[in-house]
Amino acid sequence: MSALAYFGGVTVATVLGLGIAMLLRPGFAHAVLQSAGLESIPISDGLSFYAVRVQPLFDAHCISCHGAAREKGGLRLDSFAGTMRGGKHGAVIAAGKAQHSELFTRITLPATDDKAMPPSGKTPMNTDDVTVIRLWIAAGASGTLPVGAIKGAPRLVTPVKMPEINPIAVRKLRAPLAGQVAELQNRLPGVIAYDSRSSADLILDASLKREAFGDADLRLLAPLRARIVEANLSFTAVTDASAPQIAAMTALRTLRLADTKTSDATIRTLASLKALRVLAVANASSATLTALREKGVRVYGDVNGE
Amino acid sequence: MRKTPSDLFEQLHREQQTRRQFVGWGAGGLGAFFMNTAMAAQQPTTSTGLSFKRDPSAPLSALPPQFPAKVKRVIYLHMGGAPSQLELFDHKPTLSRFGGQLCPESFVKGKRFAFIRGVPKLLGPQFPFHQTGRNGTWISDRMPHTEKLIDDLCLIKSMKTDQFNHAPAQLLVQTGDARTGHASLGSWVTYGLGSENQNLPGFIVLASSGPGPTANAGKPLWGSGFLPSVYQGVECRSAGEPILYLNNPHDVSRASRRQVLDAVDAINQQTRKEFGNPETVARIAQYELAFRMQMEASEAMDIRREPGAVLARYGAEPGKTSYANNCLVARRLAERGVRFIQLYHWGWDSHGSPTDEGINIGFVKRCKETDQPTAALLRDLKERGLLEDTLVVWGGEFGRTPMEDNHGGSTEASKYVGRDHHTAAFTIWMTGGGVRTGMVHGETDDMGYDVVKDPVEVRDLHATILYLLGFDYQKLNFAYQGLDQKLTGVKPARVVSQILA
Amino acid sequence: MANDLREHTPHVQVWDAPTRLFHWAIVILVFVSWLSVDQGFMTVHLCSGLALLALLVFRIGWGLIGSTTARFRDFLHPPRTVLAYLRNGAGMYAGHNPAGGLMVIALILVLLAQAVTGLFANDGLHFSGPLALLVGDDASTRLTAVHSTIFNVILLLVWSHVVAVGFYLFVKGHNLVKAMVTGKKPHAHVPAEARITFTRSYIALLLLLLVLTAGAVAWFTIQGGAFL
Repeated sequence: MSALAYFGGVTVATVLGLGIAMLLRPGFAHAVLQSAGLESIPISDGLSFYAVRVQPLFDAHCISCHGAAREKGGLRLDSFAGTMRGGKHGAVIAAGKAQHSELFTRITLPATDDKAMPPSGKTPMNTDDVTVIRLWIAAGASGTLPVGAIKGAPRLVTPVKMPEINPIAVRKLRAPLAGQVAELQNRLPGVIAYDSRSSADLILDASLKREAFGDADLRLLAPLRARIVEANLSFTAVTDASAPQIAAMTALRTLRLADTKTSDATIRTLASLKALRVLAVANASSATLTALREKGVRVYGDVNGE
Repeated sequence: MRKTPSDLFEQLHREQQTRRQFVGWGAGGLGAFFMNTAMAAQQPTTSTGLSFKRDPSAPLSALPPQFPAKVKRVIYLHMGGAPSQLELFDHKPTLSRFGGQLCPESFVKGKRFAFIRGVPKLLGPQFPFHQTGRNGTWISDRMPHTEKLIDDLCLIKSMKTDQFNHAPAQLLVQTGDARTGHASLGSWVTYGLGSENQNLPGFIVLASSGPGPTANAGKPLWGSGFLPSVYQGVECRSAGEPILYLNNPHDVSRASRRQVLDAVDAINQQTRKEFGNPETVARIAQYELAFRMQMEASEAMDIRREPGAVLARYGAEPGKTSYANNCLVARRLAERGVRFIQLYHWGWDSHGSPTDEGINIGFVKRCKETDQPTAALLRDLKERGLLEDTLVVWGGEFGRTPMEDNHGGSTEASKYVGRDHHTAAFTIWMTGGGVRTGMVHGETDDMGYDVVKDPVEVRDLHATILYLLGFDYQKLNFAYQGLDQKLTGVKPARVVSQILA
Repeated sequence: MANDLREHTPHVQVWDAPTRLFHWAIVILVFVSWLSVDQGFMTVHLCSGLALLALLVFRIGWGLIGSTTARFRDFLHPPRTVLAYLRNGAGMYAGHNPAGGLMVIALILVLLAQAVTGLFANDGLHFSGPLALLVGDDASTRLTAVHSTIFNVILLLVWSHVVAVGFYLFVKGHNLVKAMVTGKKPHAHVPAEARITFTRSYIALLLLLLVLTAGAVAWFTIQGGAFL
C-alpha cells in the first residue's frame, strides 16, 4: 500500500468516524457545526425571560457540573446555546413540552432517585425555581421572549451578595473629608459615624444627646452635610433655625425630628431632598406632609394624619 | 513581632491563658503591651478593615457595620417552651380531618421525640382558623391583636432545628450551638456593632413567665461564651430595681460612690498593668457602665413615665413583672439606642399535663398574656418610625408535633390536650427594616409534619439577622480554640433572600 | 531474494519484558480510566489513575537505568533528526525511531500531567482526588478543567500513535504491535551494528517497589501535613 493511499484512507476513516459520531450525538454535531461557523449560535436576548429568570437558576444550581469547568454528560448549561444543544444523550429541552424535556424531568424527580438533579448533596431547586423553568419551556423555550411575557411566574428573588470591603478604596473615598470627620467625632462624641465600614456616607445621630444638642451643634456639622444620609435629631433642642442646615443635607434618606421644636417651617424646606424616604416629625400638619408622601416619603408621627 | 493590644486581647482568649502564664511572658511581652496601649490611644477606633478586633479599653464603643445596614437594633421575642405553630399560624385542615386516628408509621419510625413513644394519635388543630390581611393569610383566633398587624409580618413556616429538648434547642436559637459556651446572638451583635448608648448596656434581657419552668438553658442563653464577657446580656427587671444591686445602698451618696469607684478603679488599673488580662479591662468598663447606668437605667426602665393611654394599649401595669411591661420597656430601650433587646416569655410547653402545660390551659393563657403587648409594641414602633430600622423576631425554640402528647395519665387524658416537641417544622415571624412584609415563607405538608418548601435552618435565620444588621455572617468571627468561630457555626448557612424587602 | 532471506532470518530481541508490560498496562489503564469516569465508578478511576502514575514514574526511572532500547538517550534525538526522519524515513533504529521517541516522551508527559491533575481534581459531588484538599476548592475545580482538557490531548496523541503504527504495518510492512508483544523484531529491521544490552528484570521489580514505597511515604507525609 502506498503512503498516499494509507493516509487517504485514514483521513476518510476519521471523517467518517466524526460523521457517525455527529449523527449519533446531535449535541456534538451542533457543537462542531457551530464552532465551524456552519450553523448560527443561538443567543438569548439580555432582557429575555431566559436570561433574567432561567439562566440564573442554571448558574446557581447546574453549571458547577454542566459548565466551563466540568461538562458532565456532555451537557453545558452556562449559555442558551449550550442548553438548547443538549448533552451526549440528546436534547434536554423539548420546546413547548416541559413534561417531555429531560432537564425538567430530572429536576422534578424525587431527591432519592439516582437520576434526580441536582444530585443528592447539592441544594435542590425549590418549587418556585421549577415553576419558572416549566413556564419557560411551556412558552416555547425561547431565548428572546421578553421577561414580562410569561405571566404567573413566581417573584424574582436575587440572592444577596455580600460586598467585599476594599480598605484602600474606602480610604480613598473618605479622604476628602476624613480630617473633618475625625475632628468632629472628637468634638461631638457619638454623634457622627460612618454608615458602614465600606462607605464614606455618614450617619448623624444626636438623639441620645437630648437637649444638649442644639442648632449651634448642627451648624458645626455643616462641612459634612452633603455626606449625611441619615439624621436622627429626635429629642434634641434643634428648632426651625436649623431648617437650612437640614435642607442642605442633599443625600439625606432618613430624617427624624420627633419630639423637637421644629415645625411646618422646617418640613416645607425638605421638598428639595430628592433621596428622602423616611421622615419622623413633630408638630407638623398633614397639609405640608402630603406633598412629601406623594413623593414616596414614609412619614411618621404626623399627629393629624392617619 | 510587636502585638497591638487587640491582638493580645484576642490571643489571650484563643489560648485561654491564666494570669500566671501571662506573667511568665516576662518583661518583654509586658513592655510591648504597654507600648501598644499608649500607641493605641492615638489611633481612631473606627476601622475600615474587615477585622473585628476591638480596643479593650472601650469594648462597647459603637462601630459601623460591615456594609450599610437595614436595621440598627433587634428586639427578639423568644417564646420559651415553644408555642404550637399548629394552633397559631400553620393552618392544616387535613390534620383536622385525621385527628384522633393513629399517625402514619413514617412519622415516628426512626425518629426521636422527647416524650412520645410508640405510635401516637394525630391531633387536629384545637382552635378555628380564618383568613385575614390583604393576602388572605390563614391564622387562628388566638392572637386577635397581632392578627391586625398581619400585613406587617413576614411569617416563616418552614423553620427547622435539630434539637428536641428545650435547653439545647434554646441554646441553638440563641447562640447558634446546642451546647453551652457559645456566644449569644445579642453578644455577637454588640461585639460587632458596640453600643450606641454608652450609659446603658448594649444587650439587655427582659424575662417574664407563666407558672412552670423558666429559662431551661439558664443564663448561657444570653452569655457571651468565648467572646469577652462585656458582651454578655444584662438581665433587667420590669418590677422593683430594674437591675439588681445597681442602686446605691441606703445612705451612700452618688459622690461617695464615685470616690469608692475611683479607688477600685485605681486598683484595677494597677492589676491591669501588672497582668494585662483583658478581663480586668472589662471589669473596669463594667463598673463605669454601672455607675452611668444608675442614672439612665432607672429612667429608661421606668414605665410610670408613660402616659396612661400607652400603658393601657400594652396592658402594662407598673410594678409587676410581666411580658406587657417588658414590651413597653423594650420600646423605651429601642428609643434609647440599646442594640439588642431580648425578651423571654416562658411557659409555652404544652404537653397536655394537668399543670399549666396544656394547649387548652397554659397555651391559651400565654396567648392572652402576649398577644396584646406584642401587637402594641409593633404598633408603637411602627407609629414612631422605629420599625424602619428595628428588627423584631418572634418565635420559640422548636415547634410542636401534629401528634398528640399526653402527660395527664389515662384518667385525665381527655381533659388535657397537648403536643410534643417537634424539630421538623415550626413557625416564627419577623418584621422591621429590610424585611419583606405581608408574606409567608415556606410551607409544610398537609399534616404540618415536615417542611416541603423553602426550609430555613436556625443558622440561616442567624445569617439573615446579621445580614440585616450589615454583616456577612462569615466575616463576623472570633478566633477561639483554633477556629474562627461564627454565630452560624461550621455548617453552610445562607441569607434567606426571599424574605428581604 | 534478499527480502525472502530477511523474512526467514531469526528475530532479534529488542524490547525487554518490563518495557512491554509497561506499554500494555498503560493501554489498559488509559482505557479503564476513561470507561470508569464515564460510568461514574470513581473508585476504579482513582485506582487506575494511581496505578498509571506509579507506572509513569517507574518508566522514567527505567528510561534512565533500563535496557538500551528503553533508555531516553536511545530514542531522544535532536529536532533536526526527527524532522529528517519524518521527511524521508532516513535511518534504521532498533528501538524507537526519532518520531516514535518523541511520541513516547509526549505520551509520558501528557499522561503524567493527567495523573497529577487528577490527584487534585474533584467531581463536584462526593468524590475528590486524594490531594484536592491541599489546594482548596477553587484551585481543585480549575485543575479539574485542566484534567478534562488534557484528556482530549491524550485522545489526539493516541490516535496519531495508532495511525503511525498502522502506517508501519500497512505501508512499510513492519508489525510493531507484534514486536511490542513478543519483544522481537526481524533481523532485517534492526541495524546490524545495534548493540542492545538488557537490564535484568528483577531490577525493574526493585525499581517499581522503590516507586511504590516513595509513593506511600509521600502519601503519609502529605496526609499528616494536611490533617494533623
